[in-house]
Amino acid sequence: MLSRKIGRWSGRMFTHIYIYRLKCILRDRETVFWTLVFPLILAVFFNMAFSNLNKSTETFKAINIAVIDDEQYQADHNFKTVLNEVSQGENRLFNLTVATSRDEADKLLDESLIDGYIVVETRLKLVVKESGISQSIIKSFLDNYVQTASAVKSILSGVVLPAGLPDKLLEPGKLPGKSPDTDELPDKSPGTLAGSLAGDEGDVSFASPGNPANYTNPGGSASWQKLLDSLRDRRVYVRDVPGTRAEPDNMLNYFYTLIAMACFYGSFFGMREIMDIQADLSTLAARINTAPVHKLKAFIYSMSASLTVHVAEMLILIAFLRFIIGVDFGPKTGLVILTTIVGSIAGTTFGAFISAAVKVSENFKVGILIGASMIGSFLAGMMYQNMKYIVSQKAPLLSFLNPINLLTDAFYCLYYYDSYSRYAVNICILLFFIIAFCLGIYLMIRRRKYASI
Amino acid sequence: MQVFKLCLKILKKNIPSMLIYVSVFLSISIIMTFATANQMDEMSIFTQAKSNIAFISEEDSPLVDGLKRELSKIANFVEIPDKTEALQDALYFREVTYILRVPRGFTRGFMKGEDVQLEKTIVPDSYSDIYVDLAIDKYFNTARLYMQQMEEISQEDLVRRLEQNLSEGTGVELKATARTLGEYDYLNYYFNYFPYALLYILILGMSVLMLVFNNRDLKMRNACSPLSPNSFNTQFVIAVLLFAFVSWLVMTAFCFILDFKNSMSMNTVYFTLNSLAFTIAGACMSFLIGNLAKSRGAIYAASNVVTLGFSFISGVFVPQELLGSSVLKIASFTPTYWYVRANNKIAKLTQFDFVHMWHIYYDMLVQVCFALVFFVLAMVIAKRKRAEP
Repeated sequence: MLSRKIGRWSGRMFTHIYIYRLKCILRDRETVFWTLVFPLILAVFFNMAFSNLNKSTETFKAINIAVIDDEQYQADHNFKTVLNEVSQGENRLFNLTVATSRDEADKLLDESLIDGYIVVETRLKLVVKESGISQSIIKSFLDNYVQTASAVKSILSGVVLPAGLPDKLLEPGKLPGKSPDTDELPDKSPGTLAGSLAGDEGDVSFASPGNPANYTNPGGSASWQKLLDSLRDRRVYVRDVPGTRAEPDNMLNYFYTLIAMACFYGSFFGMREIMDIQADLSTLAARINTAPVHKLKAFIYSMSASLTVHVAEMLILIAFLRFIIGVDFGPKTGLVILTTIVGSIAGTTFGAFISAAVKVSENFKVGILIGASMIGSFLAGMMYQNMKYIVSQKAPLLSFLNPINLLTDAFYCLYYYDSYSRYAVNICILLFFIIAFCLGIYLMIRRRKYASI
Repeated sequence: MQVFKLCLKILKKNIPSMLIYVSVFLSISIIMTFATANQMDEMSIFTQAKSNIAFISEEDSPLVDGLKRELSKIANFVEIPDKTEALQDALYFREVTYILRVPRGFTRGFMKGEDVQLEKTIVPDSYSDIYVDLAIDKYFNTARLYMQQMEEISQEDLVRRLEQNLSEGTGVELKATARTLGEYDYLNYYFNYFPYALLYILILGMSVLMLVFNNRDLKMRNACSPLSPNSFNTQFVIAVLLFAFVSWLVMTAFCFILDFKNSMSMNTVYFTLNSLAFTIAGACMSFLIGNLAKSRGAIYAASNVVTLGFSFISGVFVPQELLGSSVLKIASFTPTYWYVRANNKIAKLTQFDFVHMWHIYYDMLVQVCFALVFFVLAMVIAKRKRAEP
């Protein structure tokens, strides 16, 4: 009878403290701003600043080039055909401009409207104004053309040729057949260049002027025909084997560190709970300590109010990132939410632990919490994403000791890996941190009595 | 000039705490300047770009060695342990952009003329994907050409011939641009980071002032003084501008320490002029925020959001040419955007006549207009606030 009464009383006590605590927390606009609104705003900025980054630096876009339209170019049918073919279709390699003179091409280059232009002389020549990947791809394309010509020359030197053929063949840029490049490039990367080019080109080039049909006379040797066949038959020698289900979209890491940072901004809630329960820290705490409620119980009740608010905030953040910004978390939604909750608990208890352990003014405590979460976020790659990788390579222990990195890594694993082993390690270490913080808090705030304050 | 003097007194008192921020921001600016500027190296001859790739071979043969030698022209090989996680991590953080695996039995199959393939794991649709693929396919297609014509060719002979062929290349002419690249890169980056640090410091100083002036009792006392609100505001604004000017002076002085060699040029004069225009806009903006916000906490929150936000969208953290066009449109409503835009142009300046300069004057003028708008808005708000009981 008595125990049931006590049970009901403590249940009422829980609801009482919990609800009032919720009101207190929600009315503290400043903390709500830093823990909820600020990460949301930061997420929007991240999205604005980074959404275009990979697209503009990493993703292949057809390269703008020009070719000088002079007699030599017009005379070189093969090269012309080849160049036109790789400049057509949706997955083309180049956007080709035909410039009437070198001056015009120079002007285009100066204004950075093209990355380089091609001059057809006795040898092909490429003119650029800086070294870069686009320029190197143009060069590779041209090299390819020249080198296959050289290979044909080397082979032909060993076989009997129809009369009159060698001269034409050996002249650079007058390679028989549709140049290897045409066939080769479209097949290059199945995902990028295949498509239209690979599909429709087949026979087109063989009807074009200057193609081998014009050269092979009826008396041509069998080896010549064979060479043509080989030249025609270009193969793809690399096949894509994706490492995991997910694409290696490294911009995601910025958002993952942002969530981790927001979780650790929960430490402000934890700090407040300690400030309001330790009688020597605030007058409110002194009042609460005089109430006939078990101190630890009061602390746990109000702490659960803080946790409720913070977990809700984090779920709002996750939902915002997922549905409005469009951040990909992978298919394991349940585990993403679990990770967020664990992160939120870790952040809140961290704040409480620091607040209980360090005997300094409130401002200084805020400074420590902000400093710790900033350093942690920096090492997890929030300002410079490769930092996370550098730390994991050079100082692996540090990446396990940094809870923000653990949290970031947990999200990363859920997105990127098919297996759960590394995720499980991250979560276990985080749980260990939480237990350590709770134990620390318990030891520090229990049975603290004050003769006078 | 009581108000003016009071403002200076308050600011002076807070110099130590502000110095912490100044030094933190300056060091961040300097670190970031060096980190970013170093990525751009000067080039006088054409150098073939190299992709970082992981080359994992499950077999050893002259053909594969030949491929590796050929690839070394366009790729740096990065050693990564052959474990799924290590490879995936390296790809995600772009330690490598291409993982190439030669499966066991590839050479034998290839020499027999079978349809064999290497395996790649890549960043999809990237430049380096296309670039490396070009080289690999070229190598094996040429090899096959030989094999089909010379049936008795040995692997060693094949590799030798391939190497000979593939050493031929296209001539590349690197056109000299009017200016040596990268001469003003340091200053350009430093001055691009300038708004981040400066706005933070300005708003911080403002929050210190507002904390005092917004004190209820003080406010009421000031309101009943025989000083006209106009005079009060003017003095206050002059103090804010002076504070901004001193902050500007300290921070531009740093650029001379950073890159003394280039600091005596016309470009630097325009860099400083442009930063002064921005400082005026920044000071007026901080005045506006100071008038809008009610508490120190609110000023602190606003300062973080504004400073970070402007920096993110207008090209301070991420260069303008890498931002999306819609983002830049939004950014054009901030003075920072015009400031960074002018900076990037100044860095490229070689001629200083009006034809080349008017774009830059225009950008500076826009910043000054922003300053005016902020100032007028702040005055309107201040007036309204006074009208409130």
